[in-house]
Amino acid sequence: MRVGLIASTAGHLAILVWGVISFPDARPFDVPPVDSLPVELVPISELTKLRVGEKTAELREEEAPKPTEKKAEEPPVPDAKTGDAKAEQPTPATKKATAQPAEATPAPTPPPAPAPEPPAPEKTAEPAPAPPAPQPDKAPEPVPEKAEEPKKVAEAPPVNVKPRSKPTPPPKVQQTAQRREPEKKQDDFNPNQIAALLNKVDASGGGTQSSSTPASLGSEKGQSNVQMSQSELDALRSQIARCWNPPIGAAGADDLNVRLKVSLTPGGDVDLSPQVLNSSGNPSFNVAAESARRAVLRCAPYSLPTAKYEAWREVIINFDPRELLGG
Amino acid sequence: MISEALAQTTVAAAESDFSFLSLFFQAHIVVKLVMIGLLAASVWCWAIIFDKWFLYARTKRQMNRFETVFWSGQSLEELYRTLSNRANHSMAALFVAAMREWKRSHEGAKPALHSLQQRIDRVMDVTISREQERLERRLLVLATVGAAAPFIGLFGTVWGIMTAFQAIAASKNTNLAVVAPGIAEALFATALGLLAAIPAVIAYNKLSADANKLSGRMEGFADEFSAILSRQIDERL
Repeated sequence: MRVGLIASTAGHLAILVWGVISFPDARPFDVPPVDSLPVELVPISELTKLRVGEKTAELREEEAPKPTEKKAEEPPVPDAKTGDAKAEQPTPATKKATAQPAEATPAPTPPPAPAPEPPAPEKTAEPAPAPPAPQPDKAPEPVPEKAEEPKKVAEAPPVNVKPRSKPTPPPKVQQTAQRREPEKKQDDFNPNQIAALLNKVDASGGGTQSSSTPASLGSEKGQSNVQMSQSELDALRSQIARCWNPPIGAAGADDLNVRLKVSLTPGGDVDLSPQVLNSSGNPSFNVAAESARRAVLRCAPYSLPTAKYEAWREVIINFDPRELLGG
Repeated sequence: MISEALAQTTVAAAESDFSFLSLFFQAHIVVKLVMIGLLAASVWCWAIIFDKWFLYARTKRQMNRFETVFWSGQSLEELYRTLSNRANHSMAALFVAAMREWKRSHEGAKPALHSLQQRIDRVMDVTISREQERLERRLLVLATVGAAAPFIGLFGTVWGIMTAFQAIAASKNTNLAVVAPGIAEALFATALGLLAAIPAVIAYNKLSADANKLSGRMEGFADEFSAILSRQIDERL
């Protein structure tokens, strides 16, 4: 029995030693850390904003930089959109403008007395007894010393504020701005800055360039109140895609991308013949463009929300055969 | 216990080393006990297998040698004299037991021959059963291990799987790295169980067949020798 036990123990030890020696050499599995993919269920009301941009620009994800909007409390406000010019304006408009408040503030003469009122006068008229409260809200934006000066003025002539329950409709002011936006201008009008506005006439109202980054695809007006939700855009997309027979056999699907400008009637019909916006050297491009145009015409009455007609009156549709052919 | 298992799984996940020793040291204490038990069972089984193997080979060799001597025409008295003073096994022991009974029956003034045949048979039966017991001793251990070791390994497996599930529940993650240590632990326990059971079952079948063959051979010799002695007794009656 002893011989057997010794032999058995020796055998097991040998196997164990062999295992200990040889098995760590076995290559361990590389288990890459698995990242869970974050999936967000976006509510259907998520809106795709019609961006301010150029219609011819490439569609890019980032929001195009907003044109610089002038602050309401800034004294020199003749221009509606100072930053809207495409190119740099030669003369800087700031020279005259900065001089203006400097003259007005040292001597609080009766005419510029209600100066502290920002474009929305109803708001400031009510808290007149306790002016410090609303002022700090707006104070941080301008330089501190500017904020203090209006306070002084507001306390001194409280009588002037009372009768002004509603601001008198401002007269139309002649402006040098290139673009006209009446709604904005009414807000911006401040009767106390008439002098500044008048002075502005001789200063050539230039402005800074809008932005160095190219604008995104969007409407030129950039009406933010007309929005089409993603599902509505998808609905239009799917309606058109149903009728589209892309040129399957055409060689070089890379440059067969057709951009079609389609005008629609409120009823959803195609107004004019769709316009091809781009071109390509590809011999099959004409075929592709024709197929895209046929698709748009064939599915003609599109069901789209009539309330948002402004948004889809003119649609630019991108027909990309790559997406259909899988690259 | 859960927290312990958790600590172990986290450690295991951090190291993810799957060598024999680390698998053993990372395992839960229950699984460790199972592994140790199975390893001991395996060692013991192999000890028995080796022992029986040698014993049967030796017994067979002795039988062959004894049979050649026995059937060589040598005088039984002479053979008894050479064999009686040393420790004998199997057939030699059988022969010596029968011859001793024969001798004792003839020691007195009047030989007691009437029931000598029965006495010799009984003595040889006792010797055969004693020899059989010696041959088959510990074979039942093999049978037990062969039957039970897979279940013991399965117990370790279940425990390891439980550890794996606890790790999943704790980390709220079904990542392979979380599950792997428990699974590896479980499979290692199963592997040890099978490692102990398979040789045990095979060896049990083989060795018990061998033991049966040997005892059958002894019974055959006992019958033959009984026939020879019976003839002698009848001649002397």
